[in-house]
Amino acid sequence: AAARLCRGRCRALLARPAGALRALRGLAAGPEMHFGFQTVTEEERREKIYQVFESVAKKYDVMNDSMTLGIHRVWKDILVHKMNPSPGTLLLDVAGGTGDIAFRFINYVCSVRERQLQRKLKHHQNLSWQEIFESYQKDKFNSLGDSQVVVCDINREMLKVGKQKAQHLGYTEGLSWVLGNAEELPFDDDMFDVYTIAFGIRNVTRIDLALQEAYRVLKPGGRFLCLEFSHVSNPVLSKLYDLYSFQVIPVLGEVIAGDWKSYQYLVESIRRFPPQEELKAMIEDAGFFKVDYENLNFGIVAIHSGFKL
Amino acid sequence: VRCQHYPPLRALQASAVLRRVSDEHKKEPLTSSSQQHFDSPPAGHQPEQEPQGPHPSYTGQGGQESEDYESEEQLQHRILTAALEFVPEHGWTAEAIAEGAKTLGLSVAAAGMFHSDGSELILHFVSECNAKLSKLLEKEQKLVQLGEAEKKPIDAFLRDAVEARLRMLIPYIEKWPQALSVLLLPRNIPSSLNLLTSMIDDILHYAGDQSTDFNWYTRRAVLTGIYNTTELVMMQDSSPDFEDTWRFLKNRVADAMTMSNTASQVQSTGEAVVQGLMGAAVTVSSAETSRAVR
Repeated sequence: AAARLCRGRCRALLARPAGALRALRGLAAGPEMHFGFQTVTEEERREKIYQVFESVAKKYDVMNDSMTLGIHRVWKDILVHKMNPSPGTLLLDVAGGTGDIAFRFINYVCSVRERQLQRKLKHHQNLSWQEIFESYQKDKFNSLGDSQVVVCDINREMLKVGKQKAQHLGYTEGLSWVLGNAEELPFDDDMFDVYTIAFGIRNVTRIDLALQEAYRVLKPGGRFLCLEFSHVSNPVLSKLYDLYSFQVIPVLGEVIAGDWKSYQYLVESIRRFPPQEELKAMIEDAGFFKVDYENLNFGIVAIHSGFKL
Repeated sequence: VRCQHYPPLRALQASAVLRRVSDEHKKEPLTSSSQQHFDSPPAGHQPEQEPQGPHPSYTGQGGQESEDYESEEQLQHRILTAALEFVPEHGWTAEAIAEGAKTLGLSVAAAGMFHSDGSELILHFVSECNAKLSKLLEKEQKLVQLGEAEKKPIDAFLRDAVEARLRMLIPYIEKWPQALSVLLLPRNIPSSLNLLTSMIDDILHYAGDQSTDFNWYTRRAVLTGIYNTTELVMMQDSSPDFEDTWRFLKNRVADAMTMSNTASQVQSTGEAVVQGLMGAAVTVSSAETSRAVR
């Protein structure tokens, strides 16, 4: 544990001189980063990623379905089941753009709440009609049980698509849409019960900052959940996965969304992302306890979980 | 509301909750409050760092940190203990654990540390009950050793021990069938079996069981059978203060005593019969011999 703390502090120390230099020079190149398989500066990377999502925003959901053959829905379902939120939970969904996790959260909480109400009614078999009427009134306006989800995304286009989807699907209450940067969240400390980031942390330029921000905004006892593409250790599967990724996905991107390069970036960024154990160490560095990960589909996707204790 | 005056020292990336809690530990036994709580405590405070109750103290992180911080296991124990008071309302579920976490000032999401079927909560409760029983039996034994109480005959001792242990279920009796079914899940069987056998061992140890032969297994098996059947009877019992259950228990223990008496009686009768036969054989053969001689 002492070694882990040291590593975290060292990383912070290394970052500071670079930032100071940058400030001195005014503009100019920051440290070299990866953008897919290219090497760019920090600012360039942020710009490029913003443009990627700006251009794919409208076709984001369609592309997800076609690339993953609809399996991404199952992954997101598993994430929300793992979260097992109870009514009254306050969720922050970062990089949640089109609202997939947020909608699933609301559905889950609503069904749990319904079951709770049914159980309560079963106990109240001996009430008068007046009492039943009153309790029904009280609970009717509380179908979510005070649960709320804040969807935060850095990209305006993605948020716009998300809001339209919400309207279209009929989600009216319990949702908020906030424009914000995962590395610098516009929220107070100790606010949220759960922080999720689904397929977003890969696109964050400074993952350590995002993790520190996640730690900051979570309440004590709060949970961090990260759903992300990860590394496949099985060699046979890995070959097939590579083949599919590099040959099929960019083509689909061109055909469906008219954007080869964005999907080339997507596939390359998956390869550049740290593997399961390394991400687990980074999460522990940020101060989380009981950090663990669960591989889905042999490591194509992994869910990392940590608690702020 | 709680712990507002313990701001986490984020510069050290230290735990926000675990450290706070260990400061509470330190505050309770001390009467003179020292402001040095955030730094490493002076050596004299370390004996008071022992966790409450019979829980073994696990070192969660490195050896250094176990002095200042409670480990994750200890925090989990506290959450589960706090969750027990919500069991009558919510059952042995993640909801009860979430409510328990809330009372400790943690987010409801902390319940995610445990399995969603409440297994850990039930196992925690069972081990707590066993620990309480142990302490009770030890106290009674001390009283007997000091001469302040009479040594009970073995059947009364077993009856009282099993009754005391089963009475601990009474506050949760409505939801206990659910707990029993969870304890029988394949995943939980090793732990639940372990807890059951160690409890039975405890009872028989304090009952003064010194046997080293095959009887050791027989006795445990018999007592386990008595305990399990009485527990099941208790689930369906609606008599005032569970009188029917205690009567059932009394009968079963009496049966077991009779059985062991019968067994030893059978053995001695068997020996007597064999001796009788041998005597008869000797008499007949000597009669034959004497007739042959005449």
